[in-house]
Amino acid sequence: MTRTAWLIEPPGLVPYDVANEAMHDLAVRRLRGEVPDTLVLLEHPPVFTAGRRARPEELLWSADEVEARGGSVRRIDRGGSFTFHGPGQLVAYPVVDLGVRPDVADYLRRLEEGAIRAAADLGVEVGRRPDVQTGVWAGDAKVAAIGVRLLRARVTLHGLALNCDADLSWFGGIVACGLPDHGVTSLSVLAGRTISVADANGPLRRRLAESLELDLRPAPEPETPRFAPEVAPART
Amino acid sequence: MTATQKVEAGAAGHGAEPRGKRTEDGQATYLIAIAEALWEEMERDERVYCLGEDIGAYGGAFKVTEGFIERFGPERVMDTPIAEETIVGLAIGSAMEGMRPVAEFQYADFMSSGFDMITTALARVHYRSGVPLPVVLRGPSGGYVRASSFHSTNPEPWYAHAGGIKVICPAFPSDAKGLMKSAIRDDNPCMVLEHKWIYRRVKEHVPEDPDFLVPIGKADVKREGTDVSVITYGALVHKTLEAAEALERRGMSIEVVDLRTVYPLDEEAILRSIEKTSRALVVSESYRYAGIGAEVSATIAQRAFEHLDAPVERLSPPNMPIPFSPTLEDAFLPQVSDIEAAVERLSAW
Amino acid sequence: MTTVQMPQLGETIIEGTILSWLKSEGDTVTRDEPLFEISTDKVDTEVPSPVAGTVSKILVAAGETVPVGTALMEIAEEGEAAEGAGGSGSASAQTPDGRQAPGASESPSPAAASTEPGASESPSSGTAPAQQAPAQTQVPAPATAAAAAAASGGGAVAEMRERGPRSKILSPLVRRLASEHGIDLDTVEGTGAGGRITKHDVMAAIERGPAPAPAAGPPAAVGAAPAGVAPQAVPTPAAPSGAAEEVVPMSHIRRAIATHMVASLQTTARAWTMVEVNVEPLVRLRADAKESFVQKYGAKLTYLPFVVRATCDALLEYPMVNAELRGEDVVVRRFVNMGIAVSYDEGLIVPVIRRAETMNVPGLAQSIADLAVRAREHRLQPDEVQGATFTITNPGPYGSVASVPIINQPNAGILSLDAIQQRPVVVDDAIAIRHMVFVSMSWDHRVIDGELATRFLARVKHNLETWDFSSEVGR
Repeated sequence: MTRTAWLIEPPGLVPYDVANEAMHDLAVRRLRGEVPDTLVLLEHPPVFTAGRRARPEELLWSADEVEARGGSVRRIDRGGSFTFHGPGQLVAYPVVDLGVRPDVADYLRRLEEGAIRAAADLGVEVGRRPDVQTGVWAGDAKVAAIGVRLLRARVTLHGLALNCDADLSWFGGIVACGLPDHGVTSLSVLAGRTISVADANGPLRRRLAESLELDLRPAPEPETPRFAPEVAPART
Repeated sequence: MTATQKVEAGAAGHGAEPRGKRTEDGQATYLIAIAEALWEEMERDERVYCLGEDIGAYGGAFKVTEGFIERFGPERVMDTPIAEETIVGLAIGSAMEGMRPVAEFQYADFMSSGFDMITTALARVHYRSGVPLPVVLRGPSGGYVRASSFHSTNPEPWYAHAGGIKVICPAFPSDAKGLMKSAIRDDNPCMVLEHKWIYRRVKEHVPEDPDFLVPIGKADVKREGTDVSVITYGALVHKTLEAAEALERRGMSIEVVDLRTVYPLDEEAILRSIEKTSRALVVSESYRYAGIGAEVSATIAQRAFEHLDAPVERLSPPNMPIPFSPTLEDAFLPQVSDIEAAVERLSAW
Repeated sequence: MTTVQMPQLGETIIEGTILSWLKSEGDTVTRDEPLFEISTDKVDTEVPSPVAGTVSKILVAAGETVPVGTALMEIAEEGEAAEGAGGSGSASAQTPDGRQAPGASESPSPAAASTEPGASESPSSGTAPAQQAPAQTQVPAPATAAAAAAASGGGAVAEMRERGPRSKILSPLVRRLASEHGIDLDTVEGTGAGGRITKHDVMAAIERGPAPAPAAGPPAAVGAAPAGVAPQAVPTPAAPSGAAEEVVPMSHIRRAIATHMVASLQTTARAWTMVEVNVEPLVRLRADAKESFVQKYGAKLTYLPFVVRATCDALLEYPMVNAELRGEDVVVRRFVNMGIAVSYDEGLIVPVIRRAETMNVPGLAQSIADLAVRAREHRLQPDEVQGATFTITNPGPYGSVASVPIINQPNAGILSLDAIQQRPVVVDDAIAIRHMVFVSMSWDHRVIDGELATRFLARVKHNLETWDFSSEVGR
């Protein structure tokens, strides 16, 4: 049973802080019933985000090193450990109300399903690894990280990050997701050809809409928070 | 033709045994009671006649009309071909001309061969043309006899739904006799579904008064109780009474309401019982979805809402063909233990 | 009182960790305001408050990991008092207007007692007073509000107390009957599955008749509250073998006592000290004076007034024993509201003698007699069963020589007066027979320490052994 939902797709690379704030603002409005469920799809400039369980030693580069490479580090309110966002990685933030008795495990499964089907649409076979961690995996390497937080124990924040043709060397700076023995990969690496964020956007949008039962339509302009881009799209 | 022929008993108890007589102390089986009703009404009113497959020379597959043709002749005990649609059409036509036909269907399952005639014509002629059709359709319905899906149907929901036919499902011999007589005397189309499991298994003292009638559309409380009302009809009345005995030994008092007529429903009787007990279980052999149980439950929920201390429970088989294997049939149809369990669940709510 | 539990965020999520408390005890909260942060293996979130009120108690520390459903915090809703709720369990702790009724143990009823200690009808349980029970069931204004809400339907459910997972499910019939007969469903005990109020329960409440007038206090409520006292359970099929075993559902009072007892034991750091008191002079005095006493003062003279007098003095001397732990503060009192444990048909109740330190033996004897009689007749006022600063229990009449009572929350101690017996003791290097009694105290080690407890008891002992009460009893 799908329900009406908004789609927000800011162009370019959206700075993490801007996106985070806008996402929280959306969530509060969603809680109040002022906006419907919303799906945000975007790309970030390079940033390491540390969740609640992230330990300092899991950031392998010093702050200076990170800055020198043009990245930043942010401690945020989602669960989980360190992860990386950056160009070439498609990030999805579904802000949905799971109701007063949320089934979080179900929601996470739906995120995984959406990404798995989108990858299949692009000819890449990936799957779940419930024995290891939530996320989308190819063998022992993770291709999409998932981290969620709830607002007031019902509205979702953060979401999913799918590596398309990202520069995976960035992941050398962290113990990604707190799993030292597991690697990180991307759709492009798995497919042996370039799959860009633009390529993945359509499939991921459709498949997430399907798995989350959202009937997406563009969000009306003035009412939605501004996810202002930092620069014009850096890559084509 | 010669008098009724003796043959081997067939599946589901048809054939073979003669119908039998009342016992010395005057008890009659359900089968005998129905036969007496037909006989008495045919004697009373010469417009009443019977038609159906094997009812004349053979005496009827279940021996209901054994001996009738000798008494009333072949024109009033008419053997027909295997042609249900024609049987109904014939009944309709003759009723239009002033006769009062009683059409037998060898198994109620076969009524659906004349479905159109029943639901589109029989049920609607009076409305369309102003001509009443005092037709009775009768036949053995129901399971519990290993007769499988072609010979165990409970078609009452289909015909109750038609809206123009009274549908009667007696459980006891006296009720069967009185209701059959009422149906024959009724100027409306009536369907009497005789549960085949009951035919020879249940006997009781049945009134001999030729004008003994049981009103159509009136339920009967077969057992009084205080804790749970169980509303049911047909063979399940007997199973429910058996469950009531077992439950009583465990300290529960259930009231058993025998609907007797399934359409029109005696809503008042049902509500009176719920007002007393505040808990309702509806047990029906017709399927769960869109079955008689569904109708009764909805009526209770709507009209007795403020008398309910628990949700209305329903016990019916699923919408599936009745299995042939005895084990599966037992699992499929409501049994005494199922009724007990349902009552216990309801009491504990 | 609303209990906030560790929420279930998904079928497979079985536990959560409290990351931090966003509110402290004593803070007011509004509905939906975040109370604390949790982390589960799948997701983090803050948890909003289900009600508006004041945080009464935090039950789990930050950093702890607990299973889903664990009680984490208690919130006293607006209109209830939050203070002194420690250890009082969930809903049963507070009346809607914030009163507490300390529970009861037993003491010899002066009216009913014979002259020997052992003759009282109160069962000698040695167990401690249980918290309230009667008080909260029957306070008029909230009762009628709840009844009106019950009549109107939805609102009632939110008002009603949590007495089991299905205690707020009201069938249409139950609502109608309650509405038609003016029954406050909050006072009706549910005997159905999960605590559901069944038709049977409401009918029983109707038969019992309307609630007493507002002046009637908790014990009157006790009388009415047997809306809760075990009606027959809904007939169940699996009846055990008849006569050998009987299933008696817990009454409302019993449940409240049970909750309070457990809470007291789980909250207090209970320790126990005993002294032996030579009451030979007291026994002689009492034997001498009792007839004239009852004629003069209209109340039987038992040992309890003497003990209360002795104890009040000791409490004023060592006020830390007359104290109460509130959050991180110890509230020390320099007046004594003495709770006297009384057993009665419903269980235990603790009527309170206010300002007991100002009363003499005759006054105490009369007060104790009056309270005990009225307790047993369910005629105590709400303010007569709350506010005790210290409690005395007297299991002696049934013969127990030493008991370990459970502290009547939120007191810091409870004193037990056991049986007076003649024993051989050493007096001036010789063996003599004297009337001796063990006087003991269960005390909360969070508030006081062994030395203080012992000194306190020593003072009580000293008072009982050395004071001359003869003038007080008119001798």
